[in-house]
Amino acid sequence: MGMSERINEIRTILTNELEQAETTQLLDNLRVRILGKKGELTALLRGMGQLSPEERPQAGQLINEARESFTAMLDEKLAVLKAKEREEALKREAIDVTQPVDLPAEGGEHPITLVMNEMIDCFTGMGFEVVEGPEVELDHYNFELMNIPKNHPARDAQDTFYIDDNIVLRTHTSPIQARTMLSRKPPIRVICPGRVYRADEMDATHSPVFHQMEGLVVDKDVNMADLRGTLNAFAERIYGKGITTRFRPSFFPFTEPSTEVDLTCAACHGKGCRVCKGTGWIEVLGGGMVNPKVLADCGIDPEIYSGFAFGIGLERIAMQRYSIPDLRLLYEGDVRFLNQFR
Amino acid sequence: MKVPMKWIGEYAPILTDAENYMNKMIMIGNGVEGYEDLGGGFSGVVVGKVLTCEAHPDSDHLHVTTVDIGSGEPLQIVCGAPNCEAGILVPVATVGACLPGGVKIKKGKLRGVESCGMLCSSDELGVPVELYPSVGSAGLLIFHEDYPLGADVKPILGLDDTVMDFEVLANRPDCLSVWGLARETAVACGTEFKKPEITVTEADGDVHDYVRVDVEANDLCPRYIARVVKNVRVGESPMWLRKYLYGAGMRSINNVVDITNFVMLETGHPMHAFDLDKVDGRHIIVRRAEAGEQITTLDGKEHPLSGGQLVICDAKKPSCLAGIMGGEESEITENTRTMMFECAVFDRASTRVTSRTLGIRTESSGRFEKGVSVKTAMEAMNRACQMIHELDAGDVVGGVIDIYPDPEEKQVITASCERIAKRTGVDIPADEIVRILKQLHFGVEREGDMLTVTVPDFRQDVTGEADLSEEALRVYGYDHIPGTLLRGETTPGGRSEAMRLKDSVSRKLCGLGFREIMNFSFVSPKSVEKLGLPENDERLNMLPIRNPLGEDTSVMRSTPVPGMLSTLALNMNHGNEKASLYEAAGVFDPIHRTEENLPTETRKLCLGMYGGKVDFFTLRAVAESLLTGFGIDTECEAGGEVYYHPGRRAVLKHNGEIVCSLGEIHPEVREKFDMPQRAYVAELDLNQIAALKQPMGAVKPMPRYPAVTRDLSLVMPETTQVGPLLSLMRGAAGKILEDAKMFDVYRSAALGADKKSIAFSFVFRGADHTLTEDEITKAMNKLLKAAEGMGAVIRA
Repeated sequence: MGMSERINEIRTILTNELEQAETTQLLDNLRVRILGKKGELTALLRGMGQLSPEERPQAGQLINEARESFTAMLDEKLAVLKAKEREEALKREAIDVTQPVDLPAEGGEHPITLVMNEMIDCFTGMGFEVVEGPEVELDHYNFELMNIPKNHPARDAQDTFYIDDNIVLRTHTSPIQARTMLSRKPPIRVICPGRVYRADEMDATHSPVFHQMEGLVVDKDVNMADLRGTLNAFAERIYGKGITTRFRPSFFPFTEPSTEVDLTCAACHGKGCRVCKGTGWIEVLGGGMVNPKVLADCGIDPEIYSGFAFGIGLERIAMQRYSIPDLRLLYEGDVRFLNQFR
Repeated sequence: MKVPMKWIGEYAPILTDAENYMNKMIMIGNGVEGYEDLGGGFSGVVVGKVLTCEAHPDSDHLHVTTVDIGSGEPLQIVCGAPNCEAGILVPVATVGACLPGGVKIKKGKLRGVESCGMLCSSDELGVPVELYPSVGSAGLLIFHEDYPLGADVKPILGLDDTVMDFEVLANRPDCLSVWGLARETAVACGTEFKKPEITVTEADGDVHDYVRVDVEANDLCPRYIARVVKNVRVGESPMWLRKYLYGAGMRSINNVVDITNFVMLETGHPMHAFDLDKVDGRHIIVRRAEAGEQITTLDGKEHPLSGGQLVICDAKKPSCLAGIMGGEESEITENTRTMMFECAVFDRASTRVTSRTLGIRTESSGRFEKGVSVKTAMEAMNRACQMIHELDAGDVVGGVIDIYPDPEEKQVITASCERIAKRTGVDIPADEIVRILKQLHFGVEREGDMLTVTVPDFRQDVTGEADLSEEALRVYGYDHIPGTLLRGETTPGGRSEAMRLKDSVSRKLCGLGFREIMNFSFVSPKSVEKLGLPENDERLNMLPIRNPLGEDTSVMRSTPVPGMLSTLALNMNHGNEKASLYEAAGVFDPIHRTEENLPTETRKLCLGMYGGKVDFFTLRAVAESLLTGFGIDTECEAGGEVYYHPGRRAVLKHNGEIVCSLGEIHPEVREKFDMPQRAYVAELDLNQIAALKQPMGAVKPMPRYPAVTRDLSLVMPETTQVGPLLSLMRGAAGKILEDAKMFDVYRSAALGADKKSIAFSFVFRGADHTLTEDEITKAMNKLLKAAEGMGAVIRA
């Protein structure tokens, strides 16, 4: 039998076997059987010694061509089998991706903190610095320097918690303003967030402990328009585009002129709804120009400087924003309430 | 303050509806709570005259009447009132009328007799006795006056009016009066304020022959005016007066008392009337009470006086609490013949203190506390005397006693128009400022930019230029204020150090699944006692509040733990499966005071957990990771607070200083706090963390040589503490030891009952070369030897 017949014979075997090979394992076996050290084609190569020197080059070329051709055939089949096997493996590994999962426990800050942080971000962006102060405070800073002398109706025993004649639980964060003015020189731009205390029984809308953020600006030529501009910026930042302020005349002992500040009702954008009782406005904060007497008492010359101040209740903002129906929920710490905040 | 709109309208036309009026008043600075339609309850009720009144044929109490309502045929109406008789004028609800409560009157038959309407009692119309004295619910309201038949009864009873409820600002006591509000109304509505002309018609006699007044406490009573009325004719007030008082929420008593109340409401000056025959010696003395004196006020209550309170006395004893309440004895009665009107001004603070101490608050005391103008008192007195004459309630004796030793000067302010406007941020023209101030009754003289402003007598709140700014701005309109952003020198701004630390703690804890809570800063002292602290523990010194709301909020907290335990308990008892909570809580130390003598305030951090797979180690891991996050390394030691489980409590120490104490809550404490489940609490100090925290510094180079891991199982007595053991081994292994961990605890009968086997894993790495087997073995031997020193041996 000539070399090419032998090769063709092997090719036939290979072709048949390739048909049969269903797995990469069988294919590997086939590769060894044909091309391996003891494989059939390799045997032909070895048998070349029996050929005459003239026949050898031709036979060698035939075998080499066959090797290349067989390798290609095997590789082609291998690629097909591999693809098939991968596909099967992927099918096997499929999972029910809709199966319910356990979420990792998500923590979160208290709603008052969330509101406070947002407000702090707003004001620090305008160059305000956060200043804090003691909660148990001297009457002097809490009242006297705020132009609320002893026996002024604004400091009724019903409203203020006293430690003794000279020490109170601060009723607003204004004493921080007083301390700031006494210890710094203008320009002053500070916000004073913190806990404050009033002797109110706890109910759905009152709490003896609550949070305030006051702001104070003292500089040359500060006026009511600056207060309004600052609060307009605050309103848009906290409540969204199109929310603005309405100023109404009011009275506070520490400001003159004083104003109540209403914001456009965010629920109806000023059209009038149940939330704002049809007025289109929500009462949110108070402020005004710092009373010259307060400036003078705190060591700032009112002839040179003027200032504005404002105060915002954080509970009220949080309750409006998250539609919290009862203030008590904020101080109970029930996780069914807290877990809702994100 | 409640005022019927018609009363205000007598002095300043309103010319608009209630809603509009309210808004106009609010926008110039007069708060309004709301308004109420006085006669909202009924309609279609007219004056009718009972022409005939016969007994009903089939009833023993009903009457069949014919009633003339001024138009058409008289109506036949069946009526059950016992006081029904021919000739009386009564309110008649005609067919179609509505009564309070939504009752609609229809034509009907009563025991077979047709009835075309209803004759009404006061009760049926919702008219109180104070407004219209009648027999009340026992029978028909019978009009005493002659009214045209068919006239609507609402205007007659003053119920065709709207009552505005003003929320007068604390700096505007002048607006606690109808005149004050009418002045504001004129400005708000662009109309004119007209005060009635006041004239006093004097009869013969001289006041000084009737009474002597001595003011001994001039400092507390800067002005005292007295006038005397003789031939007093006490009787019922006319309808118009009763209407106004009713609308303002006051009861009509009699003409004399009603005049004092009317004048108080109209002018803002509280007045008092004394029965002069009951004033001993006809001598009035205004002085401070002496300790031990006693007073019986006209509500019949006795008040022992501690001394110092301002009282009005007769020759013998105190009879009135000045400006607060009159005395029972000198009260006006129907037998009063001669009386004295008092119109005085009493000190704000003194009135307030006495009113608070004795627990008596009246319309009068409220006004004196807020401030009554000393300059306008005479006007009020004269108004009262004018009304005595007009109502024919007596004859005003000639002369007046006016003790006013130190008359107040007119308040004059010099101000600049430019500065007034500048403060407001609105370009209010100077002419406009002048016009507004004049409209508000200020006297104004202008010279260029400068104004000389004379403050009207009734305004005590205006003392400087800033006040004038507000006056100008509120009338010019707060709506005109533009919005400008801050100018000038910039400031860096930003959060405080303390706040940044708290934010950072929050971020870490929130990432670990913790929820922030906020508890009250005051607690019950009992809640701290429940912790079972030793007697000398400083946390038992709590700062007491002098006037707490109740025992449960009576002291400032000295520790955040009771609050945390209560919150954990609440969650457990609400059936919440688990909770991981934290609070950044201020605590107060009354012993260690600041330079200002204030208690020390410290910010604590308290963590609390329960439920799920949480145990002591979970919480310790959180605490350690938190501290490590601030670069604070700690060693754990057993022991700590007494309110923790004695076998499950620890402290974390940094260089020997305790930075955290934690544990499982002691079962006894849990019981006291009503906690059905095990719970774990840790406490840290934010001030301390701030002081100890380390900046991160430079990063270490990435390791270049491979690491080698060796595991080791050691058997040791149950009592051996693994923490110190591991520290010891770490120290012994030298610096090629990169990491050491415990990864398993194993107990078995084979090991023995009081033994445990702990498996450790050690990671070694050389900084500048690949470690040799020899180096690693040496290190392992060293740490093993150290372990053997603590009684641990290699597990066989």
